[in-house]
Amino acid sequence: MRFLLSSFFLAGASTVAAASSWSFEDATLTIQPKGAGVGTGDKVQLVPELPLAKPVSLGTTDTLKLLLTATDGKSAKRPHQAFLTLADRSSGLEDSFVLKVKDNGKGKVELTQKDLPIQFLTSEQPLEASIVIGSFGSSAPLKAKVFELDVTRDPNTPLAVPEKPLRYAVDKEIHHIFKDDPKSPPKIITLVFAAAVTACLPVLLGVWAALGANLSHLTKAMSNAPIPHALFFGSILAMEGIFFMYYTSWNLFQTLPAAAIVAVVAFLSGGRALSEVQERRLAGLR
Amino acid sequence: MRWLLSLLLLGYLSAVQALSVAGTRLLVVLEDGAEREKYGAFLGDLEARGFHITTEAPKSDSLSLFKHGERTYDHVVLLPCLAKGLGPALSANVLLDFMKKEGNVLVALSSERSTPAAVQSLLLELDIHIPSDKGALVVDHFNYDSTSAADKHDVLLLPYPTTLKTGVTNYFGGDGLIAVPRAVGQTLGNESPLTAPILRAPCTAYSYNPKDEADSAEDPFATGSQLNIVSAMQAHNSARLTVIGSAEMLQNAWFAEKATLSGKAVKTANRDFAEKVSAWAFKEVGVLKVGKLVHYQDEGVSKKVNTSVAIPENNPKIYRIKSDVTFAVEISEYDKTHYVPFVPPEGDAIQLEFSMLSPFHRLNLRPISQTANSTIFGTSFRTPDQHGIFNFRINYRRPFVTNIDEKRQVTVRHFAHDEWPRSWQISGAWVWIAGVWVTVAGWIAFVAVWLWSAPANTVKKTQ
Repeated sequence: MRFLLSSFFLAGASTVAAASSWSFEDATLTIQPKGAGVGTGDKVQLVPELPLAKPVSLGTTDTLKLLLTATDGKSAKRPHQAFLTLADRSSGLEDSFVLKVKDNGKGKVELTQKDLPIQFLTSEQPLEASIVIGSFGSSAPLKAKVFELDVTRDPNTPLAVPEKPLRYAVDKEIHHIFKDDPKSPPKIITLVFAAAVTACLPVLLGVWAALGANLSHLTKAMSNAPIPHALFFGSILAMEGIFFMYYTSWNLFQTLPAAAIVAVVAFLSGGRALSEVQERRLAGLR
Repeated sequence: MRWLLSLLLLGYLSAVQALSVAGTRLLVVLEDGAEREKYGAFLGDLEARGFHITTEAPKSDSLSLFKHGERTYDHVVLLPCLAKGLGPALSANVLLDFMKKEGNVLVALSSERSTPAAVQSLLLELDIHIPSDKGALVVDHFNYDSTSAADKHDVLLLPYPTTLKTGVTNYFGGDGLIAVPRAVGQTLGNESPLTAPILRAPCTAYSYNPKDEADSAEDPFATGSQLNIVSAMQAHNSARLTVIGSAEMLQNAWFAEKATLSGKAVKTANRDFAEKVSAWAFKEVGVLKVGKLVHYQDEGVSKKVNTSVAIPENNPKIYRIKSDVTFAVEISEYDKTHYVPFVPPEGDAIQLEFSMLSPFHRLNLRPISQTANSTIFGTSFRTPDQHGIFNFRINYRRPFVTNIDEKRQVTVRHFAHDEWPRSWQISGAWVWIAGVWVTVAGWIAFVAVWLWSAPANTVKKTQ
């Protein structure tokens, strides 16, 4: 946008250049490495009409030197404003460096990387360099893009980039990362082991049967003491049933009274039932 | 809670009559009646917009910004005066206290008059820097009015400001050219997020002091777009300070003046721009209001947010971890006469943070629906797997709109003992469950055998 605007004004400025307009001549750009003598380094001639085709590279220790003679119309003259403006197109940042101009219109500016703001040093693209010359009165001012400056940095020397100041803007979204759910082993393994555990019961019963366990005295016991035996065995079954209910749906307060009742029944009936068993033992039937 | 709501309602009703949300009492500090004449159109426009203007001279005895510790004015306009100081009633401290009480200040500077020390230190306090020497002004040899400043180039003709950056609403846009005569340029400190430029100088402009005898600008105060013509500061409490570099911009003489830019005749749009700047400065635009803020456990049924202020928010105080929650908030923006639905600019979003010390979730809110004067923003998310005291927080701070900082605290509890999956639902537990029931069956079988087993014949034979 700003670029558009300035080009618009520039176009406007050139149309009113009826009387005279500011320009420059004899402009030389020198990139001088550190320690090199005066007058050494690459010299490039600059003209207001045409920017340099290739970007100029400025190394960490190099000094950029720009010399020019400002002219108003045909004659050399000292303008009020003589800036070298560097612009970073990606961030829109601009900074101007003042040319020290003498009475005869000869101006000079020297730049090193130390003079540049940090955003210019880290810029990916080459910086756009323009020369701005203007002054009071009716002469049209000049803003001419003259070259591109490629700031090359030594990758081994770290750059102290200051922390970015706080600006209010939309922040990055955060989505909470949940912990993984607990995992079960593969079902097939579980089923094999569950089957092995379940198979223990028939094995146990089979071993008991093989050792001669039987229920032959059930009729005898039921005829001797039917109620205690029925109640005792029933209460043991009921207790397991209570455990089952507690496991599936009941809470502790439903479980405890039921368990208490069943326990009393088991205690009372158990005494009788076990006396009957004792009688059988004393009779030599066990 | 209810008194708060009725207060809100009252505030809303009174805001319908007045123009500014922040009140209508406006103090204009200027020297005498002749000075007032110069700003007649600007002040007349303000009066037409509903402000009650009191004019005071800077050192007047009756001038006081506070009475019994409360503000006596809602807004202050400081116009440049001939006197060097503003007097004890308008010291930098008093002006800062005025802003701490949410009063708005508009300062107009002039390069022809020295900026009072109180204003200088006020601006310095807020990280806005102006040239320290009297007479420094902004010139631009490219965009000047060749009718009135053919030689001096100190009357700039600038287009309306464009959007500051993506995600920021431009309250100052328009068509036309603004005349900026003899402006005092400002630069903003880099550290503060509270300051923002409203109108920047063009890239070829620079600030210099004509009293310097040097023939060229050797050491300009600032150059290019780092130089602001109009800048703004909005404090944490949303009090606004606006600095206009050129008080002449507000004078009748420049409100619709014929000017020439690069040979083309134009008419200055200062009146419209002055209205836009003062409307922002005195909180007629860019004021956000939070209505109802609701959150609830999402049980698959979408609820409609009841925006009536008569019904309290009635939000749950406690959630379980890993439960689905829906959040909705109603936000309106004041636009000169009434509240309208707030629409965030392109590239911006209102964000909800669900935080305990630091945010666990930060989510962009989507506009769900609109009422006549508010937008309802909402989102759904799952509470994190961390129990504790959390906040639903909306902290919306952007340049040029008032700050929103809303918080609702909730407890996030762990799973209750009966909310875990049952053991049979976990396949890994099947082996142990089988073991338990095999033991039970074995025990019952053992009891039966113990009770009723007859002596085995084989055993007898061996005996």
